[in-house]
Formats: sequence, structure tokens, C-alpha cells
Amino acid sequence: MPLDYKIAERTLANGLRVIVSEDHSVPNVTVNLWVNVGSRHEVEGRTGFAHLFEHLMFQGSASVASGEHFSALMSVGGRLNATTWFDRTNYFETVPRGAMDLALWMEADRHGRLLDAVNQENLDNQRDVVKEEKRQRYDNLPYGNALIDIYAAIFPKGHPYHHATIGSMADLDAASVQDVHDFFRCHYGPNNTVLALVGDLTPDEGFAAAQRYFGPLPATASARREPVEPLAPLSEPVRDEHIEDVPSDHLYIAFRLPVDDTPEFFAASLALDAIGGLATSRLCQRLVRREQSATSVSAHAMGFVDGISLGFMMIDVAEGFSADDVEAAACQELARFAQEGPTEIEMESAMAQTERSWLSSLASQEERADHICHFATLQGDSGYINSFLDRFAQVTPAQVQQAATKWLMPQSRAVVAYLKQDGDTK
Amino acid sequence: MTSQESMIERPEVSPPEPWAFPQAQRSQLANGLAVVSYDVPGQYVISVCLAVPMPLEREPRDREGIATIMARTLDEGTALHTAEEFAELLERKGIALGAGVNDAGLIVNLDVSKRHLSEALDLLSQAVREPAFPANEVSRHVKSRLAEIDQERAVPGQRAAIEFIATYFDPDERASRPTGGTKATVSAITPQDLVAFHAVNVVPAGATVVVAGDLGDLDVVSQIRAALGSWSGTAAEVVEPPEARRAADAARVVFLDRPGSVQTEFYIGCPGPDHSVEGGWAPFQVLGFVVGGSPNARVDSVLREDKGFTYGIRSGFRPRRRGGMFLTSGSVRADSTVEALGLLLDILDKAREGFTAQETKAGVDFIGRTAPGRYATADTVAEEAAGLSLEGLTTEFTTANLLALAEVDPEILAAAYGRYVDGQWTVVIVGDASLYAGGVRGLDRGEVTVIPA
Repeated sequence: MPLDYKIAERTLANGLRVIVSEDHSVPNVTVNLWVNVGSRHEVEGRTGFAHLFEHLMFQGSASVASGEHFSALMSVGGRLNATTWFDRTNYFETVPRGAMDLALWMEADRHGRLLDAVNQENLDNQRDVVKEEKRQRYDNLPYGNALIDIYAAIFPKGHPYHHATIGSMADLDAASVQDVHDFFRCHYGPNNTVLALVGDLTPDEGFAAAQRYFGPLPATASARREPVEPLAPLSEPVRDEHIEDVPSDHLYIAFRLPVDDTPEFFAASLALDAIGGLATSRLCQRLVRREQSATSVSAHAMGFVDGISLGFMMIDVAEGFSADDVEAAACQELARFAQEGPTEIEMESAMAQTERSWLSSLASQEERADHICHFATLQGDSGYINSFLDRFAQVTPAQVQQAATKWLMPQSRAVVAYLKQDGDTK
Repeated sequence: MTSQESMIERPEVSPPEPWAFPQAQRSQLANGLAVVSYDVPGQYVISVCLAVPMPLEREPRDREGIATIMARTLDEGTALHTAEEFAELLERKGIALGAGVNDAGLIVNLDVSKRHLSEALDLLSQAVREPAFPANEVSRHVKSRLAEIDQERAVPGQRAAIEFIATYFDPDERASRPTGGTKATVSAITPQDLVAFHAVNVVPAGATVVVAGDLGDLDVVSQIRAALGSWSGTAAEVVEPPEARRAADAARVVFLDRPGSVQTEFYIGCPGPDHSVEGGWAPFQVLGFVVGGSPNARVDSVLREDKGFTYGIRSGFRPRRRGGMFLTSGSVRADSTVEALGLLLDILDKAREGFTAQETKAGVDFIGRTAPGRYATADTVAEEAAGLSLEGLTTEFTTANLLALAEVDPEILAAAYGRYVDGQWTVVIVGDASLYAGGVRGLDRGEVTVIPA
């Protein structure tokens, strides 16, 4: 189904790619910046640094006081934040049209002149905040570290995706002000950044504003390295078992997947949907509805750019059932899917759900801007939001089967198991 | 970097463009179902919300959670289709159907791309009018809810919330117990119970269906009439439950002992108003922002940005159908527990002394000027309208409330805060009591009871 969101693109002399998507439905503008640096660029001993650095971007820059990014923009009706992930870091705010220039001025200040404001006190404070983020989101929750365990189990030590974006406490402790300076000089700069402006403005207005505030910044970021060598699927199963005080047994069954934005990745993610992602997936039908040996099954594909992606299923094992039996049943279904390929109904369902969720994700200016930056930064294509569904729809059942046969076989799985301490399974 | 480059002058902010909440089209079907639609051009996924008033007090005491189980099993088998067939019918058209309950009623949500709207409404209608509650599906959802109760007890934030309502509300109140029921009451729920509960509660009279999205070329009322016009049923006698009473001994500290916790979770509250409060709701929204709505708000400017004790703590007024609460929640580094709690309660108490003009303006402008973005998508518009309908309100309330922000000044804020916040806090803590309960007692913030988490 063809989409026609307006897209206009220009690259400033300093390398900043500016993409404007005009949409006057709401008198707002979303300012969204993607910097092509994430936890995959971190070096050993400094895991978690890209994310800690992102926090420091809110602690002031040459002309902006600490905390002012939040206070100044929120007090004029801005909603803003930033996120860090394996592949990239993004900064975003949605503001009334009349505050767009202020937002751009503040963004340019921190993206160009951050180091004037960085000091030990700010670093120490945000290090503490990030450590509490890690405790809150990972360490103090049942199964909280499951994803971290998955990355470590399925990608080899030293691989860009082996460690989680949140990093380790020891590495966070080791971060210094000098690290902040080095990281900023290496990775930040208009030549490693994409800026999207989405909303109540024309392309000319957007390009002029971008030039005014970002044009003077020099192209300081180092050239990006080439993607690392692609990985093959695991050749034999990997297992990581945790016996803990958890309310029920959870199985995380993970696979390496093809690199993002390729027909092979789309096909593999469709296969994963059919096996464990849909409400009518094979595992949901068998384990949740019929055998009732699981209370829930879900599946996710995470597209990455550095030679490999990740897919995983989460199975919450029902009281009184054995995690080993449930895992064996899941392996049977994986093998059966690879042998049979998807049914017509599975293809139709996975396509239909993808279409609706894609359209939903484009419904707000915020998320639309994020998608635009995502694909412009990592795949090069600023018009991706309009073409994705057509490309996705071209995936054939044969390709889905092929992807399952190559990537989703039982022998290629990494299993992270969280098992109850007082095993009362039969 | 030359000095000239850093000298670009800080831009001024110009006033926001006019904006209004989307216009509602209202009508009513012969069966009493209200139909409200919002045309939001460019929203290609249509959101439908069906809101059925159903105060939780209608649940039998020994079957609490039945409304939740009913919401979860509406589409698990109907007069015409098995659960598996129904799930397949939904997914083949890319339809997302969900349902949940709160203290005021049932809300069924539907998201679907525009071209599949009529099929989606037909399926919504079947789920709402003719659910079969097959025994196998009911027992599955009962077991799933029992497993969920175990999960909730293991997650500190959820554990704190459950203990909070048990401590805060009078034990005779439905509000003192979890919306989704307890193990004893959920285990007792049978398909027959569901059939009976559904028959008297899920009826069109008094219910509202909201449709929002790009509705150009659609005759929404005809489509709703075709799907839901034949829905019938006699409503239970409408008894409006009064505001849930606070427990006589609510102002105290309960410390749930969770040995080895690396963080301590706080859940702190006192009474607050509902949306219909005299003098208007707007000041309370602003107060939430100013006290605990951002990293620069009163709470996090100290506990996060100064002390580094937390990733973030949030405060806000939470309205219920009748009455409400002022809640503050979040987690702190374990070894900061005592100092953090003392600071937090001091900040909340000291706010009774008033707010600056700058804080007030920031809060007013944040709430008012973010509205166009907060209500830009079909789902947010539909959810706002459906939620308000359960309180007997329409989105005229949303519009009037935004206009009323203009009147909010520091005196109004201080009066609104002081009217509810009197220092009589209900405090629930989840953390390692062996290490910190003594220190908490030392704060002298009320009787401290330690119980296992």
C-alpha cells in the first residue's frame, strides 16, 4: 500500500543531513537527531558509556545551563528525551512551532559545544542516576537481566552486540571526564548526525533553520568504521541457566538473524511472527491454548546493522509443567515450521499485523520523525517510511521458509532459562 | 570553534498557534448506545473505544476480578466462532482488539486500518454481545491471572501499589483490593459466573462507543448501527457508588521486607480530587508537573539531579470515578533509603508553603501547550473520550479544562495543594527492612509496620 508522507532532504556543507517532512495537522514541530554512535562502538572496559554520555547531553553546554534543556523546553510546551541503543543515539523534542528555533539553538549548542560545560560533578551525578536506572530496570526485577544474558550468550565476546547498552557497574565507575571529551570528539559532529524536522513547517523553513543553527558547526566526527564481519547462525545450541527466586520458569530462546533492512531479515521476522509472535502463532496455539503448558509466548526481531541481528522468543512456563518439556515442544515446532514453511493464513496474518502496526507507528509526528532518522542514519534512505510496506509485502513464503531453515533451527538456538529455586515441576 | 560561532543569539519563543481538541459528532442509537466520532485527518489507523460503565463494586465479594477475567475472555470464543477461529479472524485483517477495566467500567479498544473497519466492528460486536465463555478458555485465563498475581508480588513497584491500596482504603471498600482480584476470589470464578455478570453489566444503555481517525467518506453512525444496533440487554439498577473511604489508620508507614533489594521502592499518597472538583481540575494537573512531573520538578531536582539517588520519582493527582489521590512513587538506591524518604516527605510537605510565579507559569504552559501533541493521534483522542464517558463527562471537559489553565496562578495552586495535602501520608516501602526499617522509624513519620514482601 503506497504511502505519501512528504519528504525533502538536503545535506549542509558540514555534512549534516536534514530531512523535512511537512505536516500541518498539528501546530507542532518534532526535532529529532540521530547520531551514528551506540553501544556497538564502545571499547572494552567502557561499556555503558554511550548511554552515560547521552545523559551528560542534558547537563549543559556552552550557552545552556545544566538541566536547562528540560526546563526551558518543557516550560514552553515541549516534550523531550533521548535514548541510546546498540546502533545509535537519538535526541528529540516536540515543541509548538514557535519554539522550534529555541529547540534547534539548544540542540546545536550541545551537539557542537558540549565540552565547555562537562565537569566531574556532572559526570558523577549522572553516573549515579544511570546506575539507578540500571538497578531499576534490570537488577531489582525478576528476570531483569534476561536480555543482557541473551546478548552475551548469542554473540561472541568482543562482538559489538555482546554487551548490553546499559553496560556494567564497574565500567560506569571507570568512566572519566577525559573519556567524555574523547567520545565527543570522535563521535559527535554534524557529519555523523541526521536531523529530521517533522510537522508544521515547509522544507525551506526547515533547511534555513538547520543552516542557521547547525551550519556554523565544523565536521568534527571521525569516519565510521566498516560494519564488522557477518556472523553465521550458531552451529550448536548454547545454554545459560539461572536458578533464582523468580515466580515462574521463563525460557528465552534466541537466534541470530540476518542483518536489518534486507529481504532475508524481513523473511526471518515473518517466520518468527508465525512461530511465536502472533496471537495465532504455532507456539501460542500449541503451548498456551491447547497444552496450556505456558501462560504466554511472545517473539521479537531486533534489526541491527553490524553484520547480524537478533530474534528471540519468551515463554512463561505454566505452574506444574517442566521447562525442558516446553523447550522440547518449541524445538519441534521450529523444526516443523522450517520443514513446512508458512501457511497462506500465517503469511496473511503476519503481513496484516505488520501493516497496522507500521501505520500506527507513523500516526504521531514524534514516531514518524524517529523512523525517518532511523532509516536515513542506518540505511541511508530518508524515504523509507513510504516504501517499507511495499518492500515487506514482496517477501514470499519460499523466502520465509528459507530464512527459517537457515536461521531458526533448533540447533542454532541460545537458551537463557530462569528457573524457580524450589523446582516444583513434575 | 571561534567565538563568533557560539554567539548566535538565543531565539525568542513566539506564542503558540490556536488549537482546539477535535470536534465531536454525537448521536444515540435506539438501544441507548451513545456514538461519538472524531474526524482526525491523516490518522489512517482508526481507533474505536467502547466504554461500558460498570463500577467495580458490582463484583460479588467472593468473585472479585470477574470483570477483569470477563474483559480478557470476551474474544475467547463467541456464539459463532471458537477462540482460535476468532483470533485468526482478527489477525488476518490486522485488527488489534483488547479490553480492560478500571474502577469505573469496562473499556474495549480496537485499532484497525481504515479499509478493514467494518469487519472489525462486526467482530467487536460479536465479542461484546455474544461471548461464549468456554470452560477451557475461562480456566486458562483464571490460571494466567493467578500466575500474574505471583509476578505482581515479585515486582517491587507493583508490590508497593498493591500494599498501598490495602493500607490506604478502608478494608470494606472494593478499592482496597486489586482490580484484578486476589487468588482466592479469582480461583472461584466459573463460566456460569461470567455469563451472569456479562448479562447484567455489558448492556448498551449508558455505554458509549467512540470512533476516531481519518473518517472522511465513512458513515460512522451507519456502520456502528449495523454492528451494534441490535445489541440489547437490561441494565442493572444504576447505583452510583460513593467515594471510597480512606482507612481510619491510613496515615502510617508499611515497610515490606524484600531482603537483598538493591533499590528501595516508595509509594506515598494522600487524598486528592476527581475531575469534577469544585474550582476545576486544571490546578491539580499543574501541581503534578511542578511537584513531580519532570527532572527539574521539586522532587527530582533534589533526589535525582542533586543527590543522584534515583532514576526518577513521579508525583501526580490521580482521579477516580469519585474522589482521588495524590500519589508519589519511584525507587532509590538502597543505601539512600532513609535520607531519600526524609527528603521526599519534606519536599511534599514544604510545597504547602506555595509555588513561585515561574514554576506556575512553566506548569501551566507545559500542560496547555503540549495538548496539541498529546491529542494528535486517533488512539489518544478515543481513549480520552471513552475514559471521560465513564465519569459522566465528555471531551468538552478537556477543552474547558485547557481554557481554565489561563486562570491558574500561584495562589490558586497553593490553595488547591493545601486543600488536600495535610501531611497525613500513607507510606509504603519495599526494600531490605533488616537494614533500613530502623532508620525509617527514626524519621518519626508515623507508626512503622514491617511485613514480609
